Amino acid sequence: MPPPNTPEEGVTAPTSRPTSPIPYRQASPQPSSAIACASRGDSALEIDYQSLEYIGPVDDTLLCPVCRTPFHAPITTPCGHTFCAGCINRALEMQPTCPIDRQPINKTRDYRRLPLIIKDQLDRLKVKCPNTGCDHECSREHIEGHYERRCEFTLVRCPDAQCSKRIARRDALAEKGCMHRDVSCQYCDEAVTVVELDTHYDRSCSGATASCTECGATMVRHRLEKHKSQDCPEGQTRCKWHTAGCRVAEKRRAVWEHERSGCMFEAIGRLLQERAEDRKVIDDLVGRLAGVEIRTRRREQRRERRPETSPQQLGPALPGDMTIPDSSPTAATELRPIEVPAVFLGENRVWGSPEDYMLAQFERMDTQIEDLRKKMLEMDANQSLMLLQTNARLNEQLAELASKVGVLNMHTTWLMNMQRQNHTQQRATTTAGPVNPGMSRSGDAGATRESPENPIRYNGSGRRNSDGRGENPPRL
Amino acid sequence: MSAQFAAKRLAKELQKINNSLPPGIELVSADNLEEWLLDIRVLDNNPLYQNQTYRLKFRFGQSYPIEPPEVVFVKLPDRPIPIHPHIYSNGIICLDLLGQQGWSPVQNVESVCMSLQSMLTGNTKNERPPGDEEFVRANRLRPRDIEFYYHDNNV
Repeated sequence: MPPPNTPEEGVTAPTSRPTSPIPYRQASPQPSSAIACASRGDSALEIDYQSLEYIGPVDDTLLCPVCRTPFHAPITTPCGHTFCAGCINRALEMQPTCPIDRQPINKTRDYRRLPLIIKDQLDRLKVKCPNTGCDHECSREHIEGHYERRCEFTLVRCPDAQCSKRIARRDALAEKGCMHRDVSCQYCDEAVTVVELDTHYDRSCSGATASCTECGATMVRHRLEKHKSQDCPEGQTRCKWHTAGCRVAEKRRAVWEHERSGCMFEAIGRLLQERAEDRKVIDDLVGRLAGVEIRTRRREQRRERRPETSPQQLGPALPGDMTIPDSSPTAATELRPIEVPAVFLGENRVWGSPEDYMLAQFERMDTQIEDLRKKMLEMDANQSLMLLQTNARLNEQLAELASKVGVLNMHTTWLMNMQRQNHTQQRATTTAGPVNPGMSRSGDAGATRESPENPIRYNGSGRRNSDGRGENPPRL
Repeated sequence: MSAQFAAKRLAKELQKINNSLPPGIELVSADNLEEWLLDIRVLDNNPLYQNQTYRLKFRFGQSYPIEPPEVVFVKLPDRPIPIHPHIYSNGIICLDLLGQQGWSPVQNVESVCMSLQSMLTGNTKNERPPGDEEFVRANRLRPRDIEFYYHDNNV
């Protein structure tokens, strides 16, 4: 069994030969041979049907049980199960039984003819072109023609007969010659093959022009990064006073206008800058002082070392004293003034320079301290001025508040007096209440009498109001 | 071609597994198309395997699915080797479906897991295969190279 199956797996065309007696199979070889002839011209690669991408769901009954893809060149076994020709042949190599029901399959001649209705269903399935970049979609029966004859992305042989590489059909033009030769890029002098030239221009060539994605400006690609980080008016950036507390973070154009119009935090930012500069100066001075201290310590150490040497010098003088044992004390006193001037002279010469150096250092320190004092005074003055300004503002606000409070007090007192007057009037009206029925009893004359009395009373209240108003001015 | 065939088949299987799996089967890891790890549980009321989870390791060759994959139980601190008359203590499984003769290209990872679930569910003997210790000590063959004699049609 395996020997007959081996050649069938190699090429799909030979599989049709054993089935040539079947009339249906006789028709199929012809189109396949035609396709083979056409493909020889372009020598395009064959389609891998197991990798095709199908559009929409595919009926489970049309899937090969072995490769789980829609049947390709389906064959039906004697027991009635259908598989791809390649799949069943590969499976029979291992075991001559049906993969589904394990019925023995003796020879290829036992294969059955597939109903045409199933073939039509398979041919009508919609698929996508397997080439990357091509978005063509058609039925499965037409994908082979598209792939081998019309698709521009199919890899075909290079026009140059000597070159064995493959190239996309749309780039394979006889006039251009071999598309895999090296050429130098006209912008950056880099060696690139002709096929890769377009992608090189679009992606990696540093000398080619590119446009900013935000403002649309066109420039050379290797300047694009700097443009985006510093100059692009549409790029995002922050106000330069963000350290002082400004939170504006918009497009660079807007930020520029914001800074020109006067950022609220500009003054504070500048003050912070000045303080930073002052801090730097102070740090430098502190460093210098530390250096000076170190130097002074070193000189003190040197002074301590010199007294040690002077006794050594006095050492040889002692033997001189031995010459006069009788008058040794007087001799010593006499010898010392003789030697002392020389020693002092030498010491003076040696000490002169360090003393001068120390004096110079002290003078420098004094000048620096004076500078520091001046700056401290300036800082104090600035702070006092700021405090005065803020205090003045606060005092003004307090005065305003006090005046408002006074006005409110006057208004409240006036309102209270008004309410008191109203209460007194209400009491008067209540006392007049019982009198009214007596007057009504007198008759119409009483009614007429009552009407003029009421306006009189109202006029009286008006007078009192005017009196109250008269009282307001002196209080104000 | 055969290698691509196996890769394409496994890619389709993985896509289907990610969509849905039968109850009691879980995919643990499938970082590549050569070795997969799955967990299986016995959902029936078999007292031997109740509330237990077992780890399976699948190793696929270039000739999959024409040839069967290597399937063994993996021992982990929380994943014991099930006690079964046809499962050795080192995880090797004596099942004709996983052998050369019993395998079929129509089978897949799902069907193998379900067969193992059924194999465990149908067992009532709490014992290892006879000669388990000797086999584990002396075995030097890969699971695919062991030629088992499949004689038991009940367990």
